[in-house]
Amino acid sequence: MKGPGVVLVVDDSRVNRLVLARQLSGMHIDVLEAENGREALDLLRAHATAIDVVLLDVVMPELDGYETLAAMKADDTTRHIPVIMVSGIEELESVVRCIELGATDYLPKPINPRILAARLSASLAAKHLRDLELEHIEQQRLLTETIERQKTELSRFLSPQIAALVSSQEGEQLLAGHRRLITVAFCDLRGFTTFAEQADPEELFGVLGEYHRMMGHAIIEHGGTLEHFAGDGVMIFFNDPVTQDDHVERAVRMAVAMRERFEPIATGWRKRGYELGFGVGIAVGYATLGRIGFEGRYDYGAIGNVVILASRLSSQATANQILLSQRAAGMVEDVADVESVGEIEIKGLSRPVSASNVLGIPASIT
Amino acid sequence: MNESDPDVLNESVLDELSSSVQGDRSFVVELIEAYLADGESHVADVEAAMATRDAAALVRPAHTLKSSSATVGAERLAALARNLETAGRSGTLDTAAGEHVAGLRQAWGEAGAMLRAWIRRGDGS
Repeated sequence: MKGPGVVLVVDDSRVNRLVLARQLSGMHIDVLEAENGREALDLLRAHATAIDVVLLDVVMPELDGYETLAAMKADDTTRHIPVIMVSGIEELESVVRCIELGATDYLPKPINPRILAARLSASLAAKHLRDLELEHIEQQRLLTETIERQKTELSRFLSPQIAALVSSQEGEQLLAGHRRLITVAFCDLRGFTTFAEQADPEELFGVLGEYHRMMGHAIIEHGGTLEHFAGDGVMIFFNDPVTQDDHVERAVRMAVAMRERFEPIATGWRKRGYELGFGVGIAVGYATLGRIGFEGRYDYGAIGNVVILASRLSSQATANQILLSQRAAGMVEDVADVESVGEIEIKGLSRPVSASNVLGIPASIT
Repeated sequence: MNESDPDVLNESVLDELSSSVQGDRSFVVELIEAYLADGESHVADVEAAMATRDAAALVRPAHTLKSSSATVGAERLAALARNLETAGRSGTLDTAAGEHVAGLRQAWGEAGAMLRAWIRRGDGS
């Protein structure tokens, strides 16, 4: 436990310093002494965090009270230390000037021990309060820093939207589970299974890494929520957890961007002998979203027919096709050129479904 | 010189000082000795500044002498030092100021004698 405080006494008169030091030590206060402003500033620089209050004489050689006070107030490490001016009553005018310069209080000479005790305890209390406040601010800062670091760490493993959800107020409610209309996009590579069987592991991870980087940028640009990567398969949804009025359009624009960016990458692979094609399936519908998994490993996921439909459309897509469910196609006909590919048999569904391929987005709209 | 002239040495100031340090007389003695040791050079500095009519150089020793003299109860000395500090600040080192300097030297001698007497009185008790 800290004592009542440490006071720096600055006075060129040894007699005055002796009196002050003696009276202060009677109050169990630790005393540092300086003969002039220059010495005081040296001590303050060396012990800024230890000194609680400065008792400062006005008329001194080397560096006087004004200059010392001004130097203290100009320095971030000493600015907050209370300064009590010690001065004769006839120097009231200079005291006023010092108060204007930032001095906290004034102690008349000759020193009356009771006035000294009163002024000092007020300044010490203010200083200790401020120290507590600083300590509190520092703790807050460390806490915020830790949280931010954890968020950053988390966002490297999760979609940014989900990372934000985990650390937000309303997050718990959304994580617990809710139903919402979403757009789901499934992307995968044609010819990947064959490629994976033949390629070296290094080559495989090199190709996947390049593909995922491109996909990741496109997902972020269009505000998609990445549900998962599974080898070449990538599932993204829109309108959750952040709501998006144009969720279908976003999914289609993202898929078109991916297809365009895929081409130069595929050309590079082709030169190395790998024939890989890009296909996407997009569907719109209600799903249940929230935390899926078990204590120890949870994912944020979507469950519903819309997910199955998008996945099946993706597996039916030929290279460079972006297949939309009928409902999805109807919702983007104003922004995208689509052509019907007729009805497609979908495993698990009793009847075939109509699907359309996205040809592109007219330049007038982009 | 009147041995108990309160203008030269107001002993009640020393008594108050004593009681403010819980009657620690040896501290008051130490203080007086510091005052007597340092004061001599302050008086000399005031005289030198007066001799060269250097008003600015007179202010600081006069100021220090004023406040330390007040602390030990050397009131006449404190009053003279205050007048000289004021004269130094206003830059008027006239004949009156010259007389104050002469008075300062005399008051210094008297106060010193009375302070030493005060110390001796304590030694005997």
